[in-house]
Amino acid sequence: MTTEPQEIRRLVSERYAKDAKAVIELTAVEATSQDDACCAPTGIDRAMTLYEEAQLAGLPAESVAISLGCGNPTALAGLREGERVLDLGSGGGIDCFLAAQQVGGSGHVIGLDMTPDMLALARSNQAKLGLTNVEFVHGEIENIPLPDASVDVVISNCVVCLSPDKDAVFREAFRVLSPGGRLHISDMMALNADGPAQKDVEAWVSCSAGAEPRETYLGRLRSAGFEGVAITEESAHVENDAPADVSGVKVVARKPQETRPR
Amino acid sequence: MHRDLIDILACPVDKAPLALAVEQADGDDVVSGLLTCTACDAAYPIQDSIPNLLPPGYPG
Repeated sequence: MTTEPQEIRRLVSERYAKDAKAVIELTAVEATSQDDACCAPTGIDRAMTLYEEAQLAGLPAESVAISLGCGNPTALAGLREGERVLDLGSGGGIDCFLAAQQVGGSGHVIGLDMTPDMLALARSNQAKLGLTNVEFVHGEIENIPLPDASVDVVISNCVVCLSPDKDAVFREAFRVLSPGGRLHISDMMALNADGPAQKDVEAWVSCSAGAEPRETYLGRLRSAGFEGVAITEESAHVENDAPADVSGVKVVARKPQETRPR
Repeated sequence: MHRDLIDILACPVDKAPLALAVEQADGDDVVSGLLTCTACDAAYPIQDSIPNLLPPGYPG
């Protein structure tokens, strides 16, 4: 079937709004799903396996429960005091909060998300934490509302696979990074060369149809101008309800110090 | 959004700087207002402290 990019964006946004509402309405941290979303919020147990216990200290339960990521954010380990960080698809905000703690008061973190309910949840979580160096912005990861060379690090946790235009995402990430800036992404990738068999809209929303073979994905990063593109970790862990032909992968890349005209 | 965020936001379409008009603020937090592109005049609302910088014409 034909799946138009705008239709995909609309469905993804609706789907993840449902997750946000589930948590907002849930006050207590309970598993809300045996659901069909990739990275659906399966509650505190799963989050604890993805996030170091120590990192969780002080984070609102809601932001942990709504962590829909497919990897763990040890990508954040390399963050330094004072750095400017952009999180593509910030969801409930957990990765932003972890990053904010690492960059400290002299740095800042911007969380970009296209789902209003997720943004509201993230803001509410932020208020509980009292973090002042995080800002949440409503926008598209394919049209990042930041100037060129304005951040040091771009992070993203299981979001790019949901985009119908990954080239635009990587082009924009490259543009907003300052020279020498780093990209750290956890994402879903297909294990076979043809990509997953499921191509319907529901599969897009659950990440599986949007997951691409590794070489395709890494090739897009290189085409966008990134260098040092590498997979640092590949997780054998696959969601019980996710198709077995995708896996969680961590990718790093950097923008060259001197950018050649392309 | 913090008032100073204006310095690091840009129009999602042409990446030009934005101008901020505050409607309601709570200290340095702009609760509602309007961001306007200084190049193409596209307007982006701030509601509940969150700037909406989806490209114009975005569905929904």
